[in-house]
Amino acid sequence: MCNAKFCQRRGIRHRVLGRLLALWVLAWSHAAGADEAQTLHLPAADPMSPSRSLAIHAALDMPQATPLIKAFHRHYPQIDVRYRNMSTLELYQGFLRDPQGVDVVISSAMPWQFSLANDGHARALAPKTLDHWPEWAQWRRELVAFTFEPVVMVYHRKLTDVAKPPTNHARLLSLLQEHQDRLRGRVATYDPAESGAGYSYAMEDARLSPRYRELVAALGGVKANLETTTSRMLEGLASGRYWLGYNLLGSYARAFVDRHPQLEYVIPDDYALVVQRLAFIADEAPHPQAAERFMRFLVSRRGQQVIDRDTTLGAVHPAVVDRSAQQRASSHSALRPMELDPQLLAALDRLKRRALLSRWQRAFQQGKASPAIAE
Amino acid sequence: MTPAKSLYGRLLVWLSLPLIALGSLLFTQAWRDSRAAADHAFDRLLQAATLSIAEQVQWQDDELWLDLPPAALQMLSGRDQERVFYTLVDDSGRYITGNARLPAYAGSRSPEADTVVYQDVQWLGMTVREGIRPTRLEGWQNRERFTVRVAHTREGRQRLAGDLWWNSLAAILGMGLLSLALLLLAVRAALAPLTRLRHAIRSRHPRSLSPLTLILPGELAELRDVINQLLARMRRVRTNQERFIGDASHQLRTPLAGISARAELALRQDSPEQWHEALSTIQMTSERTGRLATQLLSLTRLDNPEYAPAPERLDLNGHARQALHEHWPAFHQAQVDLGLDSADQPVTVKATPWLLDEALNNLLDNARRYGADRVTVRTLSAPPAIQVEDNGVGIAPAQRRLALRPFHRLYDDPGGSGLGLAIVDSIARHHGARLVLDDSEQGAGLCVTLSFANAAE
Repeated sequence: MCNAKFCQRRGIRHRVLGRLLALWVLAWSHAAGADEAQTLHLPAADPMSPSRSLAIHAALDMPQATPLIKAFHRHYPQIDVRYRNMSTLELYQGFLRDPQGVDVVISSAMPWQFSLANDGHARALAPKTLDHWPEWAQWRRELVAFTFEPVVMVYHRKLTDVAKPPTNHARLLSLLQEHQDRLRGRVATYDPAESGAGYSYAMEDARLSPRYRELVAALGGVKANLETTTSRMLEGLASGRYWLGYNLLGSYARAFVDRHPQLEYVIPDDYALVVQRLAFIADEAPHPQAAERFMRFLVSRRGQQVIDRDTTLGAVHPAVVDRSAQQRASSHSALRPMELDPQLLAALDRLKRRALLSRWQRAFQQGKASPAIAE
Repeated sequence: MTPAKSLYGRLLVWLSLPLIALGSLLFTQAWRDSRAAADHAFDRLLQAATLSIAEQVQWQDDELWLDLPPAALQMLSGRDQERVFYTLVDDSGRYITGNARLPAYAGSRSPEADTVVYQDVQWLGMTVREGIRPTRLEGWQNRERFTVRVAHTREGRQRLAGDLWWNSLAAILGMGLLSLALLLLAVRAALAPLTRLRHAIRSRHPRSLSPLTLILPGELAELRDVINQLLARMRRVRTNQERFIGDASHQLRTPLAGISARAELALRQDSPEQWHEALSTIQMTSERTGRLATQLLSLTRLDNPEYAPAPERLDLNGHARQALHEHWPAFHQAQVDLGLDSADQPVTVKATPWLLDEALNNLLDNARRYGADRVTVRTLSAPPAIQVEDNGVGIAPAQRRLALRPFHRLYDDPGGSGLGLAIVDSIARHHGARLVLDDSEQGAGLCVTLSFANAAE
């Protein structure tokens, strides 16, 4: 897509494109109820001197955000915190409309966040704030990746009746190809055309795996259902309508699977995409000091412990994730965080999107049309 | 001693100032070179990125189509995490895609196809380096032109330029320090003979006036020779002084011995007449000895180089007249005719009055003693001069120089000291005047002229 800033400036030249954009980006949000306006206000402990306040706009659901914000406020009770959860598109457009109205912006739409920072909308953090922070989880000291959310597969126990559940992409491909008839309509994945998250996973998959085209064809072969959010896929899986979900956002899936014993959660062991929430301080933030405090809290041991313990987002801090890092090293050396570099910008390119989607759809339709490949 | 005043310091300052100027010039040049080198290195990335993007441009659905290779953007952002911008425009400059609308090439000449041109531009308030590649599709039917523009921020370039600069800075600084050290050594070596000379002079015996025999480089050899000349002059002066002292003691001893002998003789006699006679002899002799001592004193005073009497403007006529007046009784007693022949108008010269009078006294005294029976004092106006002429026996030309030396007596006269003309000569030299001894115009006799022709006014 063209830079949304310009679309706006020019009064949305392409109306059709604009609507496409809206549809697409709306789906970046994985929130169950993205349309509910969700806010959290923690007033300063001493209301007589509301000298310091902090406005956080985020695409991060309330159940995940609340423990984090509350922990921060316990730490800095003198700061008046206003948290607002919204969809990634609202967040992005709202920020461009009023870049002075917010201090901290948090979103999992990595290309959008990167694009904002690339255009100079983010303020660099103090050098010592990120001293201990891994190099791969920051960009120019402006963008900070503070969560670690693998993209996973989730299956219903019914799947085990049919075949051994897949543990990686190759097994998934052969499973889909071998049991095309039994699995018809039982598989769900993101619709890359409708969901921003789905699109960026498709792009990464295509980059990482040369056999991704076959996988898309196989998904087409089982007439996979194309969903727009992780929650809708999880609901379908819980109800038994779907047996297998591919490319679900792990942070939501983990909590859901914990509550639903009929579901299982698989992190592929050949490669697994990892999405990270990116946070930055707006360049024209009205309260840069409070914002810096918040960012410091996000990357601090304390903040990361809250993320590790009270949310399913996954911590990044090397000291906090020590245990799970060992696990990662042993079983999931294949975790591939989406790199924080200008490659992300390609995801926003209008023509790139058209090229990728047309290839994807061609493969998907081909799979639908052709019969199962006999093994 | 401040450094600028010592020779060493001056040399150092004047040698190191150009060195420093040269060094700063090298620094700026090194900075420019480093920048150019860094730009050159990083511009290749822009070139590669534009090529990589241009290769993915196709014609599809009646429009330009780009399957953007993400790696093309990644290669522009290295260790320094530069911000990256790209734009694809068609032949007419219409925006096709990109995350920015980078400006077209601002250069006067439109770039050739498939040649990348670079420029520094401002984008979103940042200085970015832009690479622009105009090219065209390589299709069978369609050879549509288009332009790829990519840009990134300058952090990496600055770091590389800084690194390169630091390296050359270290080299330049090292060289500078080395040359400074060499400079110190060179200056020290060059000034070593001077130190030797100083030591040689300092270690001499304080009374020694022997010449320096040091072997020195040309410039200092000159200085040594000048010093040696000075020493030679001092040796001569000392010899003269020693002779003068010898002569003076001799001159004083003779009358004193006479007095002593006469007194001894008188003491052996009983007659008061003889005592009286002895006493008057003693009185005469001691009077003469007293005058001799006075003359010695004034000569010593005049010979003292530190003695600087204050001259004033005076009229020679007046002084001549006064001298005549004072000497007339003595001349009258000796039956010598004394006359004055003064110039018509006042003859003004710059002189010390009492010295001028002393000179006239001596000249008149000499004239009275040795000058027969006729003495004339004359003042001349052009050049200003005063003359004393007599009609005595005169001085032979060969003797005239010797006559000026102290204690040189031309006549065997117990009343003369041999100092008179020496004193006049000394006074003349003091005034920058010229003393000329000549034959009298009347044929016989002496004419002494004190000419102020060259005297400083």
